[in-house]
Amino acid sequence: MSHVSDFLAPADLQRISNLQVLARQVVEGFTTGLHRSPHKGFSVEFKQHRQYVPGDEIRRIDWRVFGRSDRYYIREYEEETNLRSTLIVDRSGSMAYGGGVPGKVSKFDYATRLAACLSYLMLQQSDGVGLVTFDTKIRRYIPVRSRVSHLRVILDELDQSKPGEDTELGRVFHDLVPMLHRRGLLVIISDCFGEVANFLKALAHFRHARHEIIVFQIWDRDELDFPFKGWTQFECLEKAGLKHMIDPVMLRQAYMENLERFRNELTLGCRRHKVDLVPFCTDEPYSNALAAYLSRRLAR
Amino acid sequence: MTFLNAALVAGTAALSIPIIIHLFHKSRFKVVKWGAMHLLEMVIRTNQRRIRMEQWILLAIRCAIPALLAFAMARPIWQGSSRLLGDARASTVVLLDNSYSMDAARAGAANFAIAKDNVQQLIAGMQSKSEVHVILMGQGGHGLLDAPTYDLSRITQVLGKTSAGYGAARVPQALDFAAGALETMHEPVRQLVMITDFQRVSFDPVEDKLITTALDRIGKQAIPASVTFWDVGQDVKENIAIESLDFSKLMVGVGQKIQIRANLRNFGAANHQDLRVTLKVDGKDKGASQVALGPNSKAQVLFTQSFETAGSHVVEISTEPDALAADNSILASIPVRDRIPVLLVDGAPGETPDDIKSETGYLQIALSPFMAGKVEQADLLQTRVIPAEGLTQKALSESQLVVLANIRRLGDDQLKALEDFVRTGGGLLIFPGDKTDTAWWNSAFSKLAPLPLGGIAGDLKEGAPSMGITSQRFDNPALELFNDPRNGTMNEAALKVWFRMRPPEKTGGALDPVVLARLDSGDPFLAEKPFGEGRVIACATAADADWSNLPARPFFLPLTQRLCVYLASNVYPPRNLDIGQQLISFLPTDAAGKKALLTGPDGIPVEVPVVKKETRGVVEYGPVFNPGLYTLVPPGGTALHYVFNADRRESDLARLTEQEINDLAKSHNVPIVRSLEEYKQLEHRNRYGTELWKWFLWALLAFCFLELILQRFFTRRRTKLPVKPLSASDLVSKS
Repeated sequence: MSHVSDFLAPADLQRISNLQVLARQVVEGFTTGLHRSPHKGFSVEFKQHRQYVPGDEIRRIDWRVFGRSDRYYIREYEEETNLRSTLIVDRSGSMAYGGGVPGKVSKFDYATRLAACLSYLMLQQSDGVGLVTFDTKIRRYIPVRSRVSHLRVILDELDQSKPGEDTELGRVFHDLVPMLHRRGLLVIISDCFGEVANFLKALAHFRHARHEIIVFQIWDRDELDFPFKGWTQFECLEKAGLKHMIDPVMLRQAYMENLERFRNELTLGCRRHKVDLVPFCTDEPYSNALAAYLSRRLAR
Repeated sequence: MTFLNAALVAGTAALSIPIIIHLFHKSRFKVVKWGAMHLLEMVIRTNQRRIRMEQWILLAIRCAIPALLAFAMARPIWQGSSRLLGDARASTVVLLDNSYSMDAARAGAANFAIAKDNVQQLIAGMQSKSEVHVILMGQGGHGLLDAPTYDLSRITQVLGKTSAGYGAARVPQALDFAAGALETMHEPVRQLVMITDFQRVSFDPVEDKLITTALDRIGKQAIPASVTFWDVGQDVKENIAIESLDFSKLMVGVGQKIQIRANLRNFGAANHQDLRVTLKVDGKDKGASQVALGPNSKAQVLFTQSFETAGSHVVEISTEPDALAADNSILASIPVRDRIPVLLVDGAPGETPDDIKSETGYLQIALSPFMAGKVEQADLLQTRVIPAEGLTQKALSESQLVVLANIRRLGDDQLKALEDFVRTGGGLLIFPGDKTDTAWWNSAFSKLAPLPLGGIAGDLKEGAPSMGITSQRFDNPALELFNDPRNGTMNEAALKVWFRMRPPEKTGGALDPVVLARLDSGDPFLAEKPFGEGRVIACATAADADWSNLPARPFFLPLTQRLCVYLASNVYPPRNLDIGQQLISFLPTDAAGKKALLTGPDGIPVEVPVVKKETRGVVEYGPVFNPGLYTLVPPGGTALHYVFNADRRESDLARLTEQEINDLAKSHNVPIVRSLEEYKQLEHRNRYGTELWKWFLWALLAFCFLELILQRFFTRRRTKLPVKPLSASDLVSKS
């Protein structure tokens, strides 16, 4: 059964101003379409048996019951996760880019919604979730909690965050490592703009602290296609006063080559550090991000 | 450069349009608040200079496009350094090559016919009130009409009747003649068109400076003419020519045999094994011969002919027809005389008039050998020996030639009569001797004597050294016989005693004495001097055998015969002439004041006046430029024939190569055309300039194309997306 959010683009979902409502819409719509009970079975406290249906994992069949009744039953447990996820959301100025088109989602909007959805999903699965927002430094740190009420705290912070400052990914991440005492899953939602080498060093630092990392790299379609025509003044969203007047058509080729080089460096670096780099464009459905997350979750 | 639509030149201001558009676009820029500045900034930093250069190039091209369009629409005209002539009336000189090589035909069309047709069309296409002068280039140039004319129909008509064959084209002289004609013309625009076949012999590199001089003369005139070369030549390689005729005698008597030698030349590569050569006398076939004529070689054919009647006879030798008919036959007029009366004045007579020991004994035998040998054959020279006292005006009037042999001196009356005789065309041959009064010779006789006499040289003693005659090439017609050793040589002469004739004082005039032959000592042996219309030749030694062995040598007979005939022939002006010379005929005094009838090769008889000069009537006609036979019928007399032959060097039909023609025209800065159409285009350019709009249009298209290419090149691979678009598939792969 499909949900309305499957058919809505992020631009349409923008109308839903309440992040919680949006997250619920997205997550429930998403999980309804998945195989049943995906978020059960990771706990140790027995809850009940239920009859096996095709699609259930074989390893979860209770062979003792089968021996007694000659029927297949699955053991279900009370959820009690030990997964600690921290959402690290970039609120730098470059994340504010939305193409200047009314009604279009900015990268930061997309990032906050994505973070909201992920938080909702994680808490629904009884996973612990925390939040870090940063630009040149860590702006807010919300420790990991697994209470459902914790969602409110996270969503409030996301709702109040505004992008605008410069980015210092490397330094911020290095600062963050000592704050995350227990190992867990780090979900970085950022455009990753900046020095690739510093960023990779920071990831290496995280990995050294035995954190699992998944990077949702947020792109605007304009940044990937550079579709501008006519004389255009590009004003930097991070550094005030930095602007360039150019004919973008003349520079497009060189820009695309530079973009390709940047992405290759980033991809290869992430692969080297066993970090999942999942690029996203703001015109893509959030469900893709949730699928990526669950894929990573199941791999644990 | 000028413009037909000058107002549209202002349209070039449209070049500012791309600049305005550029500035407009730049001023109406969009502002994008950009996040990925770190990606863009590096690109800007590394590509800014290149992009700025590319933008400048594109802007320049875009500016050029409307400017070129405006230029093309303004119809620019290139006129070079000269002003445009527009519709101004022109004076045109057409220098038409009518040398006989222009008669060379290929595929039935002769060069001259083609040239003539082109000139007629050229004249027909001229504006009314244009001035034209057609100058024929043969033999240095002469006008088709006497003066430039505005009557275009008349000159076209006369041109239609003109034919080629007028000798050799002399380009420098013809150009010089044309320069003179241009100076007399009236219209504000001057044009000179030289139409020729560019035959190699007519454009000798040696004469190139003369051409330059003539063209300079045209260029420096008050109104310089625009000169154009027009090539109408066709490549005709094969041609056989009869180059010349040689006669064994200067003058022929009735019944005497004369040898006629025809010199043939093959200018082509064909081999003619049995080339037929025929002889006609007075239009009747008299003989034929066959000769082998190899490629690019020469041959001679000899005919022997005698004439039964005195008077004017015409000999024609011809060969088989080929591409150039003009040189396939050659004419000669041979005046046949009954007798030439010669007066031998003997200063040391013998006992009888025919005494061999007399001063004129050997001369008499040498000049009239048949009469002396009692042979029934005709002697041309009829000698009569008289003593010095017998030299009277009456005796002179019955003679054409006087020979003075060892005359001491003449009386004043005798001398005056002799001077009159020579002055009116009589010939005088002088042999000095031991009786000669040197003082009289050098004073009273000095008017007639070619050179003054010095002392006597040599010694008659036994064993004394003798003096020979120097071998040399002789230019005088009387002596040129000895240029060919087969005809004998004067080397055998041995002079014991001779008079030293003092070297001539040269004034540079035509009347200067000329030394015809010299002794080995350097002293003159034979000296000639013109006197009035006659000539005098003096020998350095005696006519008998007292001082030399001349009379005993074989060459004595032909030498004395030819000297006498040469001196006597001056009474009869030449009958065989070259193109450009004047026809002169001496007639009896009673014909003076009347009209003679002259018929040329065109068959149209014209009346020519007979003018009294001295003691005779004279006809003067010409100069004559049309080669062929001219028949002059004096009032109440019999016909006299004159032949005008063209210079046969034109028979070599080899042309300059096309490259050489182009180089020649280029070196003289003269345009070359090869058809009427080309000439019209050239004249149109001269008058109205060269329209350049097509070039500007091509340039416009080229710039448009270039702009497109560069635009594509500078923004190359625009459509290629090196970055893979993001989609859900990325996630699947990551999963």
